[in-house]
Amino acid sequence: MSKDASKEEKLIRAPGDLVSRLKEAANREGKTFYRYVTEIFEQAIRAYDMKHSLKEILDVYEILDIHKEAGAVFTPRDILEYSVERISQEDDGTLRRLWYQTGKWYGVYLKEKSEYPVDTFTRLLQDGRWDLNEVTVKRNEETVEFRCVSLLASQERTLLVRNFIEGAMHSLGYGTQEQECFRGIIRLRFIPIVFPQP
Amino acid sequence: MCISETNNRIENHLIGGEYAVGIKSQASRIMPELKRGERKGREKRKSLMARVDLADKVLEIASRRGTLYDYVNDVLEQAVRAESLGVTLKEVLDDRWVIEWARDAGFTVIPEKIVYDLTEDAYRKFGKRKMTDLWYETGQWYGKYYEDLGKFGGSVRRFFWDISEFKISGEDEHLTLTCLSSKFSEIYTELFGKFLEGALNALGYSIDEGEVSKGIISLRFVKSKGK
Repeated sequence: MSKDASKEEKLIRAPGDLVSRLKEAANREGKTFYRYVTEIFEQAIRAYDMKHSLKEILDVYEILDIHKEAGAVFTPRDILEYSVERISQEDDGTLRRLWYQTGKWYGVYLKEKSEYPVDTFTRLLQDGRWDLNEVTVKRNEETVEFRCVSLLASQERTLLVRNFIEGAMHSLGYGTQEQECFRGIIRLRFIPIVFPQP
Repeated sequence: MCISETNNRIENHLIGGEYAVGIKSQASRIMPELKRGERKGREKRKSLMARVDLADKVLEIASRRGTLYDYVNDVLEQAVRAESLGVTLKEVLDDRWVIEWARDAGFTVIPEKIVYDLTEDAYRKFGKRKMTDLWYETGQWYGKYYEDLGKFGGSVRRFFWDISEFKISGEDEHLTLTCLSSKFSEIYTELFGKFLEGALNALGYSIDEGEVSKGIISLRFVKSKGK
């Protein structure tokens, strides 16, 4: 480093293990550590300007990443609503089974992916924006209770989302204890399924 | 002087470009007591060289939140977290508002299995005409919503993860649109092609010729007269 350059730089202390890990990452990307660190601080400042911490932004990104990895896609809401409404009029239960099965698949996926799958699933509902305006979860040792509110969802969409949640929770080892479903409002209470000892 | 004040003083000193072995060892003795449980075993510290403007800004932010050391620690932890997800922090921040943008534009995130099955089902039950009209009109709405070809193209790339390639290129009055996805069924490809056609129509382009087959949409447009 030249003497002139050093005037444009400052030293910052950081945990040694993180520094070592990031040096390895910089090497893998073929960047100098200085450039790598510069990019990290630039983004930290950008996050601050967005009025969020990097952790908060990473938390949201992880939800997006789960959606991507689990095979979710964005689709125009109008088309979805139209198709759901029309198909459900003459549906023999196939559509509801499809949402339930998809929920079950998500549950299995989250069990593999996450250390705390019920928490991650809750975040998925809260931050994943399944057109739900409000998702609250009450948990105690014996039950998990979801309350979801959507101002946009029709009666049929509400039922389908309920089936999805039930599918996911059943995969995660919970059984439905109580449920209530009204257009745009879902309340579901689950209890852990205890298998009898052999 | 409390420990955190001592810590700030030490780090403020360090950030000024001074590096003294005595201070380093003093900080090393003090810092472990300040650490949360997760930081055990991280007593060993290293120095990072940072651009002066960034370092000053980081110091300014840190001073509002706690100690510089803790803030830098948090930032680097998130950088490691991003790295373990296989992305850079820049990519993470670029995508920060994707869910909100998509929701504001009227998209909803839904498992692809549901979307594809539902589309196929609707196509069979309501017929080709009804469904192609629906997708075309929805595309028109998005064309008017975005009002700009670049913005529309950017949103398609950003929101439709199931598309492996999306390109709009053109010269003079002509545009060529290519959209590839290995996940699209034949019916879904046809409907999505109509969606794109509707959007470009609303943006002032008429379809000239095109080829649509399972997973492949290749359309050529010409600028509409009077647009």
